[in-house]
Amino acid sequence: MAQTEKKKSVSIRRKQRLINDLQAWVWLLPAVIVLYLMIWRPTVMGGVWSLFKMKGYKPVEFIGLKNFFEVVRDTNFIPMLINTLKYVVCSLVVGFIPPFLLAVMVNELRCFKNGMKTIIYLPAVVPGVAALLMWSYIYAPDHTGLLNMLLGAFGMEPYGWLMDEKLTILYIIVSMTWSGCAGAMLLYFSSLQSVTTELYEAATIDGAGIFRKFRHVTIPQVGGVLLLQLIQQIISVFQVMEQPMAMTGGGPNNASISIGFQIYRYGFVNGRAGHAMALSVISFIFLLCLTAFYFKLQKKIESNL
Amino acid sequence: MAKTREQNAGIFNTYDLKKTGGKLIYGIMVAILILAGIVALFPSIWIFMMGLKDTQEIYANTSFFPENLTWTVFVERLAEAIQLVEFWKMSFNTLLVSLGSVAMTLFVSGMGGYVISRLKPRGTKLIFILIVWTMMMPGQIRTVPLFISYLSFPFVAEIPGEVSLINTYWPMWLGAAASCFNIILFKNQFDSISISLVEAAKIDGCGNGRIFFNIMLPLSVPTILYISIVTMQGAWSEFFNGYLVLTERSIQTLPVRVFVTSTAQGVKQNTYMLCLILSSLPMLILFMLFHRQMIGGANVGGVKG
Repeated sequence: MAQTEKKKSVSIRRKQRLINDLQAWVWLLPAVIVLYLMIWRPTVMGGVWSLFKMKGYKPVEFIGLKNFFEVVRDTNFIPMLINTLKYVVCSLVVGFIPPFLLAVMVNELRCFKNGMKTIIYLPAVVPGVAALLMWSYIYAPDHTGLLNMLLGAFGMEPYGWLMDEKLTILYIIVSMTWSGCAGAMLLYFSSLQSVTTELYEAATIDGAGIFRKFRHVTIPQVGGVLLLQLIQQIISVFQVMEQPMAMTGGGPNNASISIGFQIYRYGFVNGRAGHAMALSVISFIFLLCLTAFYFKLQKKIESNL
Repeated sequence: MAKTREQNAGIFNTYDLKKTGGKLIYGIMVAILILAGIVALFPSIWIFMMGLKDTQEIYANTSFFPENLTWTVFVERLAEAIQLVEFWKMSFNTLLVSLGSVAMTLFVSGMGGYVISRLKPRGTKLIFILIVWTMMMPGQIRTVPLFISYLSFPFVAEIPGEVSLINTYWPMWLGAAASCFNIILFKNQFDSISISLVEAAKIDGCGNGRIFFNIMLPLSVPTILYISIVTMQGAWSEFFNGYLVLTERSIQTLPVRVFVTSTAQGVKQNTYMLCLILSSLPMLILFMLFHRQMIGGANVGGVKG
């Protein structure tokens, strides 16, 4: 008698659990559906359709790796890879250290600290495209551009800026840094604030000067965040697309075309969606390696905190 | 007390600032920061000033301030710029996009975060791992497949009953909702709410709905605010998706219209420069309203996953 009752209660409990689980899954459903539609399926579809011949935006025939061969054989392929690497290297040289140093300096200010934060944050208020278009006026090759006006004030001839094939990528990166600096700085602020005062005090007692404190206390303490930001920046600059699109249109003479811009051109200008997807698979594999490394690092850094 | 601690925090302490060397370095630092502030603000101000000049004046006169600027001329030029990009209409469209994005992401990731954090039905672990992995996925590969799926949504099979999302705001809304990062932010927030509160509510007979709306959400206001602001900011500067999807002029968002206008024929340069400034106005207002959350926001974002 008692046993059957116990069995009954177990089965009721199981039933209750099932109902609870079902209800929970209903609550989770919107998130799963949206992630499936917007992230999981397109990622897989991109991989699958890169193996298909596309007619317009419709896959018509399985052709194996033919799209990949055609993309690699494209005359632009090697210059494009080199350009993308140039973007990454430039952004590391120009766009990585300055935000960090600025964040350290603002953090040291004795007065007007919040005001300074606000001022340096303001460029981020300008929407991305508008900022790029603004900079293309600043770089204007005739005497109406801001930079050429400044050159003119020193009695120099106007310079081509974005028209200079060798340096155009560098100038694009400068404008990217102008609008992206604020975001990186915010990240550094919060990690700088978590450096405890005791460490600096201890370093002072040990006789460390300002630079040695910076070198031996600040940098090791925020090193993890710096490293993560470094990889994140490589990943995001590797996918650069809007900047050449808005500022140079890939020119002059294809000197600023990047992988992302080429994907855009294949997919939405030249009507070669298959090629676009093949190229994005190539860059995807490369980026996946980088991101896997990023997450491994992040885990290590967070367990050290 | 807190203030003195704040004063001593950082590399410089009061003692360092009394030495000549320390004073010198601090001075150099302030000088660099003033320079950085100028670099941050000057481009926008210059574009604004150029925008207020006459078309001929831009080419003829290289002075910083516009000549013969009266109040009526100013209003006239502003009105011209507002008309050129249909500022009010485009702003309203962008507002729709941003509000929809906020609503979608709060609904989807709030509920998702709650399930993963509290209800934990069987299979949650798998979903959570999937979500963390999804954060690692570089987005570039999705560009073309997503566009193809917008053409016949949601099954990409051109069967009856499917709709085209071209010239609707759904791609932006769904895109904002598909944010793994927001789900994890909500999960962390709900994890931090004391379990005893939930237990007490359960004993009082609250279902999931009431626990979620009456306990979880009111205690998560900072996270909700942070996610809303970041999503809004994203919607106001999002450009590429809108550029692909919104081909009809009357429903474009502000950044898209600004970009499209840049390649249009017969646009006066000064009017267009004013448009660039106008397009940052809504974000400036958002920033003025929420600068505390935006500047201090990285703290919320830095919560461990």
